[in-house]
Amino acid sequence: MEKVIIGNYAVSYGAQLARVQVIAAYPITPQTQIVEKLAEMCASGELNARFIPVESEHSAMASTIGAAATGARAFTATSSQGLALMHEMIHWAAASRLPIVMANVNRALGPGWSIWADQNDSLSQRDTGWLQFYCESNQEVLDTVLQGYRIAEQVMLPVMINLDGFLLSHTSEPVDIPDQALVDRYLPLARRDLILDPDDPHSFGGLVNPEHYMEMRYKMHQAQLQSKEVAREADAQFKAIFGRSYGSIEGYRLEGAELALVTSGTIASTSRVAVDRLREQGEKVGLLKIRMFRPFPGEEVGELLGGFKKVAVIDRNISFGHGGIFCQELKSALYNLLKRPQVYGYIAGLGGRDVTPQTILDIAELTACRDVPPAEADWIGVKV
Amino acid sequence: MAPGSKAGWRLDEKITFASERDMPPLAVSLGTMLVNKTGTWRYMRPVYEDKTPPCNHACPAGEKIQGYLELSKAGEFGRAWELIMEDNPLPSVCGRVCYHPCEQACNRSNFDEPLAIHHVERFLGDYGLRKNLKVKREAARSERVAVVGAGPAGLSCAYHLARKGYAVTIYEAQPVAGGMLAVGIPRYRLPRDILEKEIANICSLGVEIKTGIRMGLDIALDDLSGHQAVFIATGQHQSTRLDIPGQEARGVIYGLDLLRDLNLGRSVEMGRRVAVIGGGNTAMDAARSAVRRGAEVTVVYRRSREEMPAIPEEIQEAEEEGIQFLFLSAPKRVLVKNAAVGGLECLKMRLGEPDKSGRRRPIPVDGTEFGLDVDTIIGAIGQEADLSFLPSGIALDRGGIQVDEHGVTARPGTFSGGDVATGAGTVTAAIGSGKKAALAIHSYLSGERMEEAFEPQVVAYEEINLDYFEPAARQAMPRRQITERLGGFVEVNLGYTEAATLTEAQRCFSCGVCNHCDTCWLFCPDVAIAKLDHRDYLINYDYCKGCGVCVEECPRSAISMEEEMRWKK
Repeated sequence: MEKVIIGNYAVSYGAQLARVQVIAAYPITPQTQIVEKLAEMCASGELNARFIPVESEHSAMASTIGAAATGARAFTATSSQGLALMHEMIHWAAASRLPIVMANVNRALGPGWSIWADQNDSLSQRDTGWLQFYCESNQEVLDTVLQGYRIAEQVMLPVMINLDGFLLSHTSEPVDIPDQALVDRYLPLARRDLILDPDDPHSFGGLVNPEHYMEMRYKMHQAQLQSKEVAREADAQFKAIFGRSYGSIEGYRLEGAELALVTSGTIASTSRVAVDRLREQGEKVGLLKIRMFRPFPGEEVGELLGGFKKVAVIDRNISFGHGGIFCQELKSALYNLLKRPQVYGYIAGLGGRDVTPQTILDIAELTACRDVPPAEADWIGVKV
Repeated sequence: MAPGSKAGWRLDEKITFASERDMPPLAVSLGTMLVNKTGTWRYMRPVYEDKTPPCNHACPAGEKIQGYLELSKAGEFGRAWELIMEDNPLPSVCGRVCYHPCEQACNRSNFDEPLAIHHVERFLGDYGLRKNLKVKREAARSERVAVVGAGPAGLSCAYHLARKGYAVTIYEAQPVAGGMLAVGIPRYRLPRDILEKEIANICSLGVEIKTGIRMGLDIALDDLSGHQAVFIATGQHQSTRLDIPGQEARGVIYGLDLLRDLNLGRSVEMGRRVAVIGGGNTAMDAARSAVRRGAEVTVVYRRSREEMPAIPEEIQEAEEEGIQFLFLSAPKRVLVKNAAVGGLECLKMRLGEPDKSGRRRPIPVDGTEFGLDVDTIIGAIGQEADLSFLPSGIALDRGGIQVDEHGVTARPGTFSGGDVATGAGTVTAAIGSGKKAALAIHSYLSGERMEEAFEPQVVAYEEINLDYFEPAARQAMPRRQITERLGGFVEVNLGYTEAATLTEAQRCFSCGVCNHCDTCWLFCPDVAIAKLDHRDYLINYDYCKGCGVCVEECPRSAISMEEEMRWKK
């Protein structure tokens, strides 16, 4: 069934279709509608889940961890400051190897207080052990919630699904809501092992001495790497049942291109428009959208971009003192290739500043005029 | 780790792995944690410990007030009635005439308004009468007990003894049973049929009441030797004389005589302009009765309103009915005209230092004499006991019979209670003294030891966790219109409905007594509290870490924290 819904509701419908059993969440703009909708579903009986109202995001994640530890399919959603407050528990969830799915509505961190789109919140959680996806459309948001549980429950790592604040969270788009029966086939509920069970009590998260801590971290890392294949399989199965797939990265009009624009989230869809316009003008420009950020699909990126002369990475984030975070990731993925492209870094759209097709055209033109990438990333449109 | 391999692990099994590869991916103990009794961390332990609610503690009749309010919350009015009847055979009476010290003690009065315990008690008493509920009686015993006086103390003593199986006979001087309840309290406060029904309930336990037999006149105390014990509760039926010049004039009468004559349907001689002297309940009863006979009534009281010993509601209702009050005024002499009252001369008073009673002493102000134009003066300044019938061997004390706290007199086998012994002057204190004496008589006759008195731990307002309560208005008592009231002796207060009783009972904090609210059970962070039969709780000390959250959260202070006795296993 097709519905015109905002991105936040796409998350809610995704969680409903996944038959989540426990939701613990705290409201924060621009995420609030996700949990409002889920709370309504719980109240009306459309969703048979326990909704736990909590007093903070730290408790939201702690409760979600507790629920997931008992074997329940648990869900939460947050944004920005809320995600930052969860930080301790974000680590805990991953190292507890719990298949939690969380939606994070990308929003800038304060101060200066801001409620608008910016990826610094989720990228600050890069090294916690969570899988991270960045979505371009409301349909992709819903579908990724379903894929997220399928992947998480196989590799036993939590999954964070990111959508741009307001640009997706509050923007209505037509979304196909899949049949519950099909979703149930894609995502069956199964009893897990090593769960918190009062009838068979065990200690969880206790002391681990130096002889074994490293092994546990090694296994987490292996699980992250393994999840690339699991995600590929989950995407393929999704296509077989629902007819849609996204890949960990997606190339758009890269054939015969000399310049590849690389970006994520809603800037990717704006870039498609710019690329179309440039192609009409005969410019050899294509686009690479990065959907899966953790684990980072380095080999796939290398395969697609290895032959290019120039790559321009557009980041809606900043690692202060270094540059755009996707740009760093890309550079490190390409560095050991025998033939590697020049990488130009651009910072744009921080704190929700508009990134229009013209912004993308400017970036393409700037990249075309240059022979050597500057040492520092260019801040597009910055007024200093 | 291979999923599912935990099956078959035993407590005593040492778990080893061939290599780190076989270890589980997360920090989890593969052995069961049943060996780890985290209760050993505890140095304080919570214990469920019911304490004494202030209402129960304040009730002279020893009613389990919190208990019947709790039952009333659930609409269990029959069981609530039975609970009152364990201590007090006259709930319908007390629900009307008691001065309810329980409400003064109620912790809720610090929060918004005290519980209307009095009104709930009346509802429950009337409920028992309406449903014709009966109390049970133990197997009959051979011993016989005589009770002298069928007032609240005598009735209470007889009732408690009869429930224990004793054969009890009450000797009553008046033509009706009830003592002051029948001949003192006016019908508009206590309708006669209510009193008669509760007395009939007592008689249904086998108590025999012989009316019209005055001790010392018709029969002597020594004639009661066929009884193994005697309880004397003859009350205080003589009014204290006014002791002012002119007091012999026609038209000077006394409150108790007036009330007795009105209650027994005898003719009463009274004028149109009446002065009532005194500020107690008898003064109010006399004044309000006189108003109902069409008189203009002025109450003359030597202190101010704050010092009046009458129940505040009585004073308020008297004012509503048009009774005038002259405070800080004392009668000086009766102005006599043709041997009858022609007026009353009074003197203004001022208040000095507090006296022994704690009230400020009235001091006459010279030269402030003034006259009151009245034709009838009703004295109601106090009452005394008639002790003339008592044989020797019964020691006296301050105008009454000397007793210990159990009602035991100096003469073996003779007990006493109520106003003649305690002079306490209230129905509920009389009922309490009758019950105490009944227990003492049972102990005397059976040789069973009486229960030891214990020092009660009364719950203070500060011990209530107010986070769990919201302000709620006290249910109002519906009253008859003034015009209807003044037309005769119909009952003024109309009583609570079932709905009002339920709503009012819900306001009870249940101070110090667990009422199974589940707060401890929900809050225990170690899930160490179990709920038995969906009602009582059990703390699993193997896992209680002694954090005290249950104690802190308990809305009513029904859990205590005790130091762990490490040397005690």
